[in-house]
Amino acid sequence: MEKLPLGLALDLRNVVPYKTGSWRTLKPLYLMQTPPCSHSCPIGNDIRGFLRTLADQKDYEAAWRVLTRTNPFPATCGRVCPHPCEDGCNRRDFDTPLAINSSERCVGDYGLDNHLEHKKDVLTQRKEKIAVVGSGAAGLSCAFHLAKRGFKVKIYEAEHEPGGMMRWGIPAYRLPKEVLSREIDNILKLGIELECNTKVGVNIPMDQLTGHYDAVFLGLGAQKGVSIGVEGQDSRGVFTGVGFLKDVHSGRKVQLGRDVVVVGGGNTAMDCARVAKRMGANVSVVYRRTRNEMPAITAEIDEALEERIMFRYHTNPVKIITDDGRVVGLMCVQMELKEADASGRARPVPITGSESVVPADTVIMATGQDVDYEGLDLAKRENKWVSADEQYMTSIPKVFAGGDAVLGLETVSAAIGQGFRAAMAIEDMIDGQTEGHLARPPVVFSRDLNTYYYQQKRRFAKEAIPVHERLKSFNEIYPAFDRDEILTESSRCFSCGLCFDCGNCLMYCPDNAVKVTQGGGRYEFDYDFCKGCGLCVKECPCHYIQLTLEK
Amino acid sequence: MLKQIEGSHAVADVVALCRPNVISAYPITPQTHIVEGLADIVESGKLDAEFVNVESEFAAASVVLGASAAGARTYTATTSQGLLLMTEVVYCIAGMRLPIIMTCANRAISAPLNIWNDQQDSMTVRDAGWIQMHAEDNQEAADLHVQAFRIAEQTHLPIMVCMDGFILTHAFEPVDVPDQKQVDDFLPPFKPRHIVDPRWPRGIGLYADPRFYMETRYILHRALEKSEDTIREVSAEFAKAFGRNSGGLVKPYKLEGADLVIVTMGSVVGSVKELIDRLEAEGKKVGLLQICSYRPFPKQEVYKALKDKQNIVVLEKSVSLGRGGVLASDVRWSFPRSDKTDRHISCFVAGLGGRNISIDDLRFMVERVEKEPVDLEFLGLKKDIIAEKDL
Amino acid sequence: MEIKAEDLNRVEKKDLFASGHRACGGCGQALAARLVADAAGENTIACVATGCLEVFSSPYPDPSWRIPFLHSLFENSAAVASGVEAAYKALKKGPVNIIAQGGDGSTADIGFQCISGMFERGHNVLYVCYDNEAYMNTGVQRSSFTPLGARTTTTPTGNKTRKKNLPLIAADHGIPYVATATVDDFRDLQRKVKKALAIEGPKYLHILAPCPLGWGHTGDLTVLMCRLAKDTCIFPVYEIVEGKVTNVQKVPNKKPVEEYLKLQGRFRHLFKKGVPTEPVAAIQEIANQNIEKFNL
Repeated sequence: MEKLPLGLALDLRNVVPYKTGSWRTLKPLYLMQTPPCSHSCPIGNDIRGFLRTLADQKDYEAAWRVLTRTNPFPATCGRVCPHPCEDGCNRRDFDTPLAINSSERCVGDYGLDNHLEHKKDVLTQRKEKIAVVGSGAAGLSCAFHLAKRGFKVKIYEAEHEPGGMMRWGIPAYRLPKEVLSREIDNILKLGIELECNTKVGVNIPMDQLTGHYDAVFLGLGAQKGVSIGVEGQDSRGVFTGVGFLKDVHSGRKVQLGRDVVVVGGGNTAMDCARVAKRMGANVSVVYRRTRNEMPAITAEIDEALEERIMFRYHTNPVKIITDDGRVVGLMCVQMELKEADASGRARPVPITGSESVVPADTVIMATGQDVDYEGLDLAKRENKWVSADEQYMTSIPKVFAGGDAVLGLETVSAAIGQGFRAAMAIEDMIDGQTEGHLARPPVVFSRDLNTYYYQQKRRFAKEAIPVHERLKSFNEIYPAFDRDEILTESSRCFSCGLCFDCGNCLMYCPDNAVKVTQGGGRYEFDYDFCKGCGLCVKECPCHYIQLTLEK
Repeated sequence: MLKQIEGSHAVADVVALCRPNVISAYPITPQTHIVEGLADIVESGKLDAEFVNVESEFAAASVVLGASAAGARTYTATTSQGLLLMTEVVYCIAGMRLPIIMTCANRAISAPLNIWNDQQDSMTVRDAGWIQMHAEDNQEAADLHVQAFRIAEQTHLPIMVCMDGFILTHAFEPVDVPDQKQVDDFLPPFKPRHIVDPRWPRGIGLYADPRFYMETRYILHRALEKSEDTIREVSAEFAKAFGRNSGGLVKPYKLEGADLVIVTMGSVVGSVKELIDRLEAEGKKVGLLQICSYRPFPKQEVYKALKDKQNIVVLEKSVSLGRGGVLASDVRWSFPRSDKTDRHISCFVAGLGGRNISIDDLRFMVERVEKEPVDLEFLGLKKDIIAEKDL
Repeated sequence: MEIKAEDLNRVEKKDLFASGHRACGGCGQALAARLVADAAGENTIACVATGCLEVFSSPYPDPSWRIPFLHSLFENSAAVASGVEAAYKALKKGPVNIIAQGGDGSTADIGFQCISGMFERGHNVLYVCYDNEAYMNTGVQRSSFTPLGARTTTTPTGNKTRKKNLPLIAADHGIPYVATATVDDFRDLQRKVKKALAIEGPKYLHILAPCPLGWGHTGDLTVLMCRLAKDTCIFPVYEIVEGKVTNVQKVPNKKPVEEYLKLQGRFRHLFKKGVPTEPVAAIQEIANQNIEKFNL
């Protein structure tokens, strides 16, 4: 033991501090959590990652790299996705959710403007070959992820151009064809082969693929228009929704009348109505329930209303009235809504004696879509959609499927997500990997955050060109966004569940038990001294710290 | 230089010559003239020091504590009530081993209020860990201050120089006040042992839990015991440098062949010496042992001086109420248990509250103890004003 | 003395008040002392009074101070600091920051004499008071800083007097700088320390430092307590520069005092069923007076 210094006056330079960490009953840990935006995103994009990259590093290229790790279609999704991420955004409970969708589009556009190219994840090429059927969102996504992992991929596309519903279904004012084509080309640049005009099941049999390839992915989509079965639907001037859109988007001449009635309430119906409007027609939409039950995304319905498209709710077609084989009107009956049916929506029941005729020379039946199973023998679910298990495998071994064909009519993002996860499942199958992957950490909710440190800040508002301008052409409704405004918007991101160096834990620890990690901006706990008081947990704005029981 | 000067001012002049850096004191009768003298010296520029006018003795002691811990040579002065008020700090200063010099102008303690001299005040803090030295006259009072700075800075112990209030402080006597060069030659610059300074970070005033506290008290006790050597040495060197005998541990006077020895301290020594001279002329042999250093109590010196004496009377200006004489207890304790002689040690408490001790009173005391030993007696007590029935 | 804006606003994190002290987990005073020491920097001498701070930070042989500190008694840190300052002046050493620190008692009660003397004499010392609203170190007894209605061990049915307003008393001594601060806004606190140390003369900084044990809340709510004290206008944050109140931190979203009181065990008796509401109303009245006086 040291001898007592004179007067107990102690030299402070060699003090061995007392390890107060021994007092602890609870221990803080830095634990990354899942933000609700990624949790809501069907692709599982690292939204927090790309937004914080923009906010902290102001680097669009780095943000693009983060985003395209999972999503090869940022410019596309930034235009067409209904952004469930924004519905999940925790900032929604503080002031307004982040404008994630607009940020994604801005990042995607930056990538296109600067010709950024995708990079593979691995250095070595794998010997396995995978065939992908269909170059829609699901197929291209699956091909992209497999190519990034080093596999050899070949896509078989039935049409003359790739893109699937993104090209044939979504109109140019929502998704310019050039944006789509350039994003697709960028994906193919990873070394993916594309053979168009080849319909699997018709031009080549399925077993040629299963025999030649180590795995097959089916991104068939649901591109067959289905009518509800109305008398007169075979007349001239009657189209299916997808058929009409495909004709327009292939550049074929379409005989559209002046008074168009669109039947249906989904995205396809909205697209048909708004395309017809731009082609100069008077358009109305007929739907048997109300707006609340329409499956179309909110933005589409709102924009259709802005474009002066008339909506007739509670209206169901009964018969197409023709004269000399041409459509002259649509007889409709009024419906009333009774208790919910199997879909969970109110059941429409016709009101007898309420029939009336809507004058029309064109009827577009956007009332359903089916998978085209021609030449394919696959097990089905509900007798409609492709049946696939949790590993995305169909009834045929080594044949996987995803997208609209499996889920039913869903979004582009959902299909991209399916293609992504199917690619991982394919890789697992090839590697013989049977153990599951680590589950993602739990989600952070707004009640877990400490928002005291934030001020209310105005959300980025995208400006649309005026309605009368819109209808003159098929140009994009929303012109390019200001990159600086998006940088400002991204700084509103709360970084839920991941440290963003605010320094609160560092400054608030009464025991100096938070240290800056050597060689990096992040922090670590000094467990020799941490007393487990939990101040850091309470003051962390993004719930990155949690307390566990000390052993 | 020999001056006819009031005791307080002699002390003030001499303290200024010792070059203190920080002086802080709160005025209280009878120390006021020391403080005023120093204020004048500092304000006139004769001494380059900080004079801090504080709001109480407690603050004064705290200020010099802080200043000493920061490396300054410091000085304060007080008495009686003021000393009691700063008792907390007095103990603290000793525990921190800060070499602070204080003049205690001994005065009686309230209640009842009494501003005149006795030594009860410094007695109250005799256990605090300070060296306590008592001056016989104003010359010794002045000299003790010069020695005190040197002793304190060498032993790292604070020193209380006690001089009887009014009797010494307000008396005009010839005092040889040294000049600056003499003092500078005798007193080297202050080299503090530990200071608060950001260049060498130290903690002063840590708290000691039961594992360590006892050892710190033991160390202080041993330090005080050991300081007897330094006190003796410095007194001898002072004698060499200044040519007069001041300070030290004890000073015997006509002890050779004395049948009775008076043991006392402070200004009453002068009167006792006068009586002894007169008695010697009358053929009586009485001696004096002046205690100069009261703490540390020089028990070996006392024993050495008194071991052959049978009749000893201790005359003191303090009393431990409910027990008896304080100095007498210390003197009695100087004799080892193995000492089995037929020794009588009497105790007379005198001069409390400034009561005059005349030569006649002293003569009476001598005659009393020549007849029989006295355990405890209050010299010159006015029995007729005491209501024995209504204590 | 001028201080550059970048120096004033920089957040300081050094280890001048290091780990290993024995404060309770979540102690507001430990946090405040750490922030003050870091803001003051290495060229500082801390004169500490007896109290929680001294007891948990300066045991032999492992104190947690890394700047020189001087502790003597409970009530004399201001006088000791005056002595240190006088010594530095007399020895012509320095310049050095001298910070006297104390809690409720050492500042406003038993130490009031010394702090008043130090202010009046004009020493170049910053006095920092860690206000935890009771004598916490000796077991949560009432002090003159204990607010109205608070339960302490010596006021078991609630304190009957209002809090002594030491910042205004300090300002009335004519000192150049007085400020109040809380531990939740560490930027503001450190800025005030630096600003004070750049001014010659006596300065007073009054920091609200919640005590989880004494106030009756868990250690992780210390920062929240300060925030609520500000938002309910019970503790106004302001500066007094050369005698004029300035830089008042306005409270745009004022909250009723119940939100602050309900979270603390020491006020729980005010909300028991059947207890009259006058005490809470009286506390709200104090908050209202603050709003008016400081234009919060």
